Amino acid sequence: MRALALIVISMCTALVPAAAAAQDPAELRRQIEQLQKQLDSVTDRLRRLEAQPPQPTPAAPAPADAPPGPGVAAPPPATAPPSAMDLARPRQPFGLYQQRGAGQLLFDMGIAGDFVGNITQRNVERAGGGTFAGQENRFFPREVELSLFGQIDPYASAVVRFEAGEEARGADTSVHLAEAYLTLLTLPYGTQARLGQMRNRFGWSNEVHEHDLPWVDRPNVMRNFLGPEGLQEKGAELTFVPDLPFYVEALAGIFNGDNTTAFGRGTLQHPLATGRIRTFFELGLEHAIQLGMSVASGDTPDRNRSTILGWEARYKYRPDGWLHPLVTLTGEALYSLRKVDVGVDLDGDGSIDRVSKRERDHSGYYAGLEVQPFRRWAGGVRYDWSQYPTTPGWEWAIEPYVSFWPSEFLRFRLAYKYTDRSPQTRDAFNLNDSSARKVDEILFEASFILGAHPAHPF
Amino acid sequence: MLRVFRPLLALAFIAPLVAAASAADKIRVVATIPDLKALTEEVGGKLVDVDALARGTQNAHELEIRPSLMVKLRRADLLIENGLDLDSWADVAVQGANNPNIVRGAPGRVDVSRGIQVLEVPSIRVDRSMGDVHPLGNPHYSMDPGLAPIITQNIVDALARFAPDHRAELEKNRQAFLARLDEAMARWTRAMEPLRGAKVVVYHPQWIYLLHRFGLVQAATLEDRPGIPASPAHLTRVIRQMKDEQIKLIIVEPWNDVKLANRVAQEAGAKAVVLASMVGGVKGADSYIGAIDHNVNALVTAIR
Repeated sequence: MRALALIVISMCTALVPAAAAAQDPAELRRQIEQLQKQLDSVTDRLRRLEAQPPQPTPAAPAPADAPPGPGVAAPPPATAPPSAMDLARPRQPFGLYQQRGAGQLLFDMGIAGDFVGNITQRNVERAGGGTFAGQENRFFPREVELSLFGQIDPYASAVVRFEAGEEARGADTSVHLAEAYLTLLTLPYGTQARLGQMRNRFGWSNEVHEHDLPWVDRPNVMRNFLGPEGLQEKGAELTFVPDLPFYVEALAGIFNGDNTTAFGRGTLQHPLATGRIRTFFELGLEHAIQLGMSVASGDTPDRNRSTILGWEARYKYRPDGWLHPLVTLTGEALYSLRKVDVGVDLDGDGSIDRVSKRERDHSGYYAGLEVQPFRRWAGGVRYDWSQYPTTPGWEWAIEPYVSFWPSEFLRFRLAYKYTDRSPQTRDAFNLNDSSARKVDEILFEASFILGAHPAHPF
Repeated sequence: MLRVFRPLLALAFIAPLVAAASAADKIRVVATIPDLKALTEEVGGKLVDVDALARGTQNAHELEIRPSLMVKLRRADLLIENGLDLDSWADVAVQGANNPNIVRGAPGRVDVSRGIQVLEVPSIRVDRSMGDVHPLGNPHYSMDPGLAPIITQNIVDALARFAPDHRAELEKNRQAFLARLDEAMARWTRAMEPLRGAKVVVYHPQWIYLLHRFGLVQAATLEDRPGIPASPAHLTRVIRQMKDEQIKLIIVEPWNDVKLANRVAQEAGAKAVVLASMVGGVKGADSYIGAIDHNVNALVTAIR
């Protein structure tokens, strides 16, 4: 009713100058009738609004012994009529800022923490031949990641990730820029471009961050051929998704080639070129399979060509209505074609007389099976077999593990890993008079997510 | 060898063109959840070709982002989303679809929660110790038939941006649907009248809009906190509360643990009933009105 009074007063205020100005009584009457109609219309609308049923109360009271709820608010009560102060308050754009709340961020932020530990034999520790080389028999922060992501404008989004971790035994935790890239979202013809520093979309697991991997460690073949951190490069990627009834994504990229394990030339005059094609099929509602093939080709610091071919497959069986897959199969294989400089002793005097180029075609693969019969528990096993990019020999490993999620944002994982290396690896894994040819390890991992975290792709 | 593959290759390229031609004159709409698909079909009629990303039996909070979702989005003119953080996973699917029409901020991206009076908006600072809370309020409004007028109005506005000449037809379709809904609403209100004030337990707090619409009271949840599985101590408390307060019904979503709900119901001398949390969630709930029909009938039958 206060609103009605306010309207009447406003009408009267408007009427006074009108009456003064109008000399003709007929004109005055016409204006009064017009105002009367407006008043009737407003009164009618107000009456209808007041006659609407009240909104329901938002939530039932929690039981006395229930845990504290999130402090739900009642839906706003029937709107009070605006006061003079309300009317005087600024509208857009100031009103918009107030609505969002002063200082509200226009992007998302999340932190992922990943701590790992391992227990192994003393000789493996001395030889530095464990899964976390140099960090044997230790518990340490492998990756604490701060992610900032969101829209830059209507045409592009951006992701920035800083990582901190202990990279050497007892060393201070270092912080570095892990990723920073923008994605141009509105390019024509089904294309999209990503520019900056990024984890390359090479195979399935390379793009996955440490805390999101389904195992404690990266598969041996990926670490051997792409380094412990995988392939992370600075450059640009272009993807193309053709308009087909099934999913196909083609990708091409140009990068510096800074990865010292596989490439390392580090110049755009001799860039690292990458490519990937992946497709996806659903076999009914419950079965899904993704297949892909990747290539990365660049130069090593000694100006030799290094090309890595990759194949990937991932299958999931998720019974209808389940919140998680029951069975997940993952496999990747790499084949490296690499030229290396080899010193040749022509006259047998022990000194190198000539450097000749030799081809080193080496390969490796892994295959993993995970079974998740319960929402919070999963168990699995991964088998690895891998050669080394330039040195002779090979290794195989088997790693059974179990994962437990107390909630969606917290996970614990326990694994046992047995690694067996061939005798040719004697030089690489026999340091400090100790051998790391046969390695038994107990691995454990604790991961958490604080704040926002984007959904995981397939 | 090429002779064998040539017809297959030709088919692979021609088939999508034929399909594209047949749907060329329609607005290609993808809705994140089937409720919004059903409502878009009601108002869009012959003008639209609608698909949904989630299925009725799935949990709309955490959808697995399969590339098949990206195929659906690849050619969409319009992506209709529920909003309020329920379907924020759609961003990942959109990013993989390389379709500029539906990226966030584009005219083809529509959040139909605009104008909804959102319930359970946290009034205090929230964090994950409270479970998987929705900071913007309870997002499960789509199965409240009383809110369908607002949702369909938002859908009409979005479709009319693509087909301004057909606004009148869209509005006519909407009015025809709302007339049928009004008729059904009168029936549902009559059927639910004896249940007004009855207390129920829900598995996940996603029924608050429906319960309030028909005057039922949510007394407790089987989940310890939203998204957090129930601990034995919590279930014991709920069973005691159900016995003390004579609560006779537990409402379960099709994707949740029906066996657990049945066990608790048995202990408390109550019944557990599976309602369609989305259109298509249970057998026979294949349309919007059909799904509400199912839910109302199931509630009435269970409490009677």
